[in-house]
Amino acid sequence: MQSIIKAQGVTKLFNGFAALNNVSVDIPAGRIVGLIGPNGAGKTTLLRCLMGLATYDGELSVMGENPLQNRQKLLEQVAYIADTAVLPSWIRVIQLLEYAEGVHPNFNRQRAEHFLANTDVKLNSKINSLSKGMTTQVHLAIAISIDAKLLVLDEPTLGLDILYRKRFYEQLLNDFFDEQRSILITTHQVEEIEALLTDLIFIQNGKLILSMPMEKIAERFHQIDFNKDQLSETHGLRPIYRSPILGGERLIFENVDYQELTAYGDVATPSVADLFVAKMSKPGAIA
Amino acid sequence: MTETWNDKSPIYRQLKERVAGLIMAGTFAEGEAVPSVRQVSSDFKINHITVSKAYQELVDAGVLEVRRGRGMFVLDGAKDRLLAESRSKFEETELPQLIERAEQLGIAPADLIDRINSLIDGK
Repeated sequence: MQSIIKAQGVTKLFNGFAALNNVSVDIPAGRIVGLIGPNGAGKTTLLRCLMGLATYDGELSVMGENPLQNRQKLLEQVAYIADTAVLPSWIRVIQLLEYAEGVHPNFNRQRAEHFLANTDVKLNSKINSLSKGMTTQVHLAIAISIDAKLLVLDEPTLGLDILYRKRFYEQLLNDFFDEQRSILITTHQVEEIEALLTDLIFIQNGKLILSMPMEKIAERFHQIDFNKDQLSETHGLRPIYRSPILGGERLIFENVDYQELTAYGDVATPSVADLFVAKMSKPGAIA
Repeated sequence: MTETWNDKSPIYRQLKERVAGLIMAGTFAEGEAVPSVRQVSSDFKINHITVSKAYQELVDAGVLEVRRGRGMFVLDGAKDRLLAESRSKFEETELPQLIERAEQLGIAPADLIDRINSLIDGK
């Protein structure tokens, strides 16, 4: 199957500083990929390169197109909700839909109106009269109505309350996603989307720290909670991370045999948040 | 948003148990369709692979069947089969665990039996 995104050795230099350093990823259709990293890790830079909004060195193809050379063709099949997305405050929702219909060859206005009919957004409302949550729904309405094969979301739920966040992901899964499409999403609220993701990418200082399907994560990383009195047993073990828990310590292991670990206690899969902290505090590792 | 799942076992397994529970309770009746992968995925905000995996295990266990283009259906006899499985799991695993727990707490076997009897009588 054709890759939705294929990056090979992508590097982005800003005056000699590598915002992206030799990044390679391959994302097929039907995946929901979480791009996770600390502030300044290069997440948005990577997204901008994918959208053809920034130059880069290396090989990059999105929907089989070179983002720099065929940006217009690419944008027929790709939707991007940027974290800095600001719609003009004076425009009415209906005018925005008219505009999108005029400029985008694949925009399905009925679909957008149908989607918005199930929200609190009125077509006649001006953008500056909408709440942040409603504005996000307007963005989503436009994004899902261009029949995109790839939807790129940069911190889509930032500043939204829990009800709108839930609603957003529900709509994303119900109204947009299917096995022919992929979603690439960055967020700091990892706990919330952990169960949503099929793939995980960690990025730090412009470098890929980890990139794999969630099933592989469960095979590769394990976690055991030890009581204080059991901790002496752990000397022979080589965890990648230890953190205090009530009455003991939690140890996270990478590439240690599951059977070997079961001798020490109940083996679980670390949460994405714990894994993130574990991998980020260990510099330079490549998965 | 993940309050419905525990971190003791993978979500697909917990979902599988939950669907099996609803079939045993009769909520999903034999011969009827279970909710679509998309529906479950959207309701619980979990990815489609997780949902498909849970359903697939129930297909392999002879509980659900795929009807091409129409979705997943509960097979005839699925309820009794699941109940029989749960019963043997209760007898072989959960009951011994209960006894072990009582032992840990220093509850004498006779007291445990008395307590169980009085709970049953009280019902």
